[in-house]
Amino acid sequence: MTTATITALRKLPGLAKTAVLSGAFVLYLSPATELLSPASHAEDGGTLYNTAVDIRMGNRYFERQCSRCHGFDAKGNDETGAPDLTGTLRRASSDAGIFNIIREGIPGTAMLPVAADVPDPTVWQLVAYINSLRYDPASVDLAGNAGSGADPFGGKGECSSCHMVNGQGGRLGPDLSRVGENQTPEDLLQSMLDPDAAVAPRWWTIQVAGRDGEVREGFRMNEDSFSLRIMDADANLWSFQKRDIESYERSEQSTMPGYGQALSDGELDDLVAYLFSLRREVLPQ
Amino acid sequence: MKKITNPFPPALAAAFLGVSFLVSAPLQAQEDPFSTVITPAFSPITWERLVNADDEPENWLMYSGTLDSQRYSLLDQINVDNVDQLEMKWAYQIPVIDRAETVPLVVDGIMFITEAPSNVVAVDALTGRQYWRYDHDMPDDLRICCGRNNRGVAILGETLFMSTLDAHLVAIDARTGNLLWDKEVAPHDSGYSKTAAPLIVKDKVVTGIAGGEFGIRGFIDAYDPETGELEWRTYVIPGPGEFGNDTWSGDSWKTGGAATWITGSYDEELNQIYWGTGNPGPDWNGDVRLGDNLYSDSVVALDGDTGEIEWHFQFTPHDVHDYDSIQIPILADIEFEGRERKVMMWANRNGFYYTLDRTDGEFLIGKPYAAQTWAQGLDPVTGRPIRVPGMAPTYEGIMVSPPIVGATNWYSPGYSQDTGLFYVTSFDGEQEFFKRDEDYEEGERFTGGGGRYTQPMDAYHSSIRAINPGTAEIEWEFPIMPRSSAGITTTAGGIVFTGSADGYFFALDAQSGEELWNISLGRRVHAAPMTFAVDGHQYVTIASGNVVYTFGLRN
Repeated sequence: MTTATITALRKLPGLAKTAVLSGAFVLYLSPATELLSPASHAEDGGTLYNTAVDIRMGNRYFERQCSRCHGFDAKGNDETGAPDLTGTLRRASSDAGIFNIIREGIPGTAMLPVAADVPDPTVWQLVAYINSLRYDPASVDLAGNAGSGADPFGGKGECSSCHMVNGQGGRLGPDLSRVGENQTPEDLLQSMLDPDAAVAPRWWTIQVAGRDGEVREGFRMNEDSFSLRIMDADANLWSFQKRDIESYERSEQSTMPGYGQALSDGELDDLVAYLFSLRREVLPQ
Repeated sequence: MKKITNPFPPALAAAFLGVSFLVSAPLQAQEDPFSTVITPAFSPITWERLVNADDEPENWLMYSGTLDSQRYSLLDQINVDNVDQLEMKWAYQIPVIDRAETVPLVVDGIMFITEAPSNVVAVDALTGRQYWRYDHDMPDDLRICCGRNNRGVAILGETLFMSTLDAHLVAIDARTGNLLWDKEVAPHDSGYSKTAAPLIVKDKVVTGIAGGEFGIRGFIDAYDPETGELEWRTYVIPGPGEFGNDTWSGDSWKTGGAATWITGSYDEELNQIYWGTGNPGPDWNGDVRLGDNLYSDSVVALDGDTGEIEWHFQFTPHDVHDYDSIQIPILADIEFEGRERKVMMWANRNGFYYTLDRTDGEFLIGKPYAAQTWAQGLDPVTGRPIRVPGMAPTYEGIMVSPPIVGATNWYSPGYSQDTGLFYVTSFDGEQEFFKRDEDYEEGERFTGGGGRYTQPMDAYHSSIRAINPGTAEIEWEFPIMPRSSAGITTTAGGIVFTGSADGYFFALDAQSGEELWNISLGRRVHAAPMTFAVDGHQYVTIASGNVVYTFGLRN
């Protein structure tokens, strides 16, 4: 199969954490006045509790009180419905917003408020920890040039034959229009050097042996307890009931080749810079 | 107490009766929560009827169907030959958006469904239409580990008994939904909560407690059904001077967890109540509670009258992986090594299946039934696990199987009297376990660590497994995906009914494991199916997402 894919959209907070603790990057703190709900009582205390010690204290409190649902790595849990807290937060866009959610909970959901006797500074430390899971992309200094990276993407690397960016490109790999929002430059580089490191289930492949002896292979568009749906290299869709097939084999490997040999270090750097620049345009306030 | 039982909302009534009524009607509704709606008559549920529940398979009279918790129904109208003709008869949409873990009861055509957080509704089992509802008034400072769940009610006479998330036990008139009494079992703001259906034993309501992640001290209680008075309390962590207290270092027994958060079983002949117990606390840091930590991760057998512990069997001594023994004990009399034995079948969260003699807790046989890396095996005489060294959680994290959610968990297993097989929803997963140092603070989580998956859930193997209780060998398995938290019900029609996390409700051949029928209900099945009959027609009911579905054969 000539199709290609990149690794899963992992949201490793590792780089962000290092960044905050080493002071290499600036903490990304939105103005507290933004989107304050009328019922909120929080004031902007975030700037008072964002030292490395506060973040560590917040991390400790998080592991104890929050990790059961949100995960020890704050990346959420589909089974409990607890969201990933390492990317863009849907319910809060400011420190005060995060504070209020922790303080008051979200009515009608499993998100309960913290106990009333937990002091405000502890909640602010938690806010600081959650903020430490993100960083300002503008502060990241990259070796490559984003403008030059568009060349290997469309040309030598043939990335666009499989990947879509802003509506242009193939459908045999993830749409990369906003890949910079969810992946660190380190993640992006690793994806190109070692595509098999982490592949999202949607981009696994399945080989199905039918009762007629025919073997078909393609992307795992969907697999559930009873059925399979695959898309072959020619973009044909095939559906199967598991009970009607002879057998099937699943591969969790990527279909994308590694680019460590095909591209020079400089080209890879440029490509990383280009991909990292792919994010949603910030709408004017 | 807050109740909304009027099926004719005041505003609507006002629209019919004229504007002048609008002023007084809402006031009246607020002042007087008394329900005037009455269900059709049903015959009161006596203890004798509960003991002989399998004599009336048209009714589903308790959480696990019968006191032996086999979840085996004698109904066979729906069977291996016609189950593929099932069609949906009705759906009841739960108004609270959460997840339904309820197993409804059916008494003479009336169905009682519990809802998150702790409500109950009575509906017509033929149509799903509501007779009445009870909404429990809930404080806003709950301490719950894992969601707003309620799993069902118990019935005795004409009274329903329900656990509530604020750690109360309530008695509700099954005819009207009116509250009869409301008893605080334990203080909710200290971390206690209640989610499981109670178990009726003779003239008492027996019930456990949740809160194992908050440093509680677990117990099993019995209440007077008339008055709500506590008849006895048996702590499953022994106090000073009692047998087993020395299996806890220092004062750790006071905050040792061992929550009793699922329903138990009862053997009338032996007059023993069997109940599983949860993890010791803090879950993942055993340094502060050295010793075996009795009776955490155990099954305890209690005297049916006094609640005294007659025997115990600890599946996981000094657990550091959160392997609660919160599984429902399945009781049956089977031939074991050529001899008729009264056994208890148990697939544990720790990855091992056990057959015990329930008269005295003797270990008969046990083997792994799912992926596990923490034990080399079980001692062939005592059944005690032989640990793999170095598998306790660390500060840096260590990969162990089963993961925290376990090889199975609270969801009901099943047993078929026809095949003699035991059926369990199982998971072959793994997780990185972390240890942390924490001091106990009342009402705060007290877990000492946590866990992390390193792969997407689809990468792990899940299945329904059929185990031979005589050999502890797996007879067949049916793969599903991803990890399921659905319970299992078997029938004399030769069927195993269960559900999956990807929203299927399905039927397997109990003998062969072959797929017979499935339907996608669109949302995770978090509950066990139950089956009943009205007017000679058999139905099967399952909750998926926020909906309770009832299926029957095409007319």
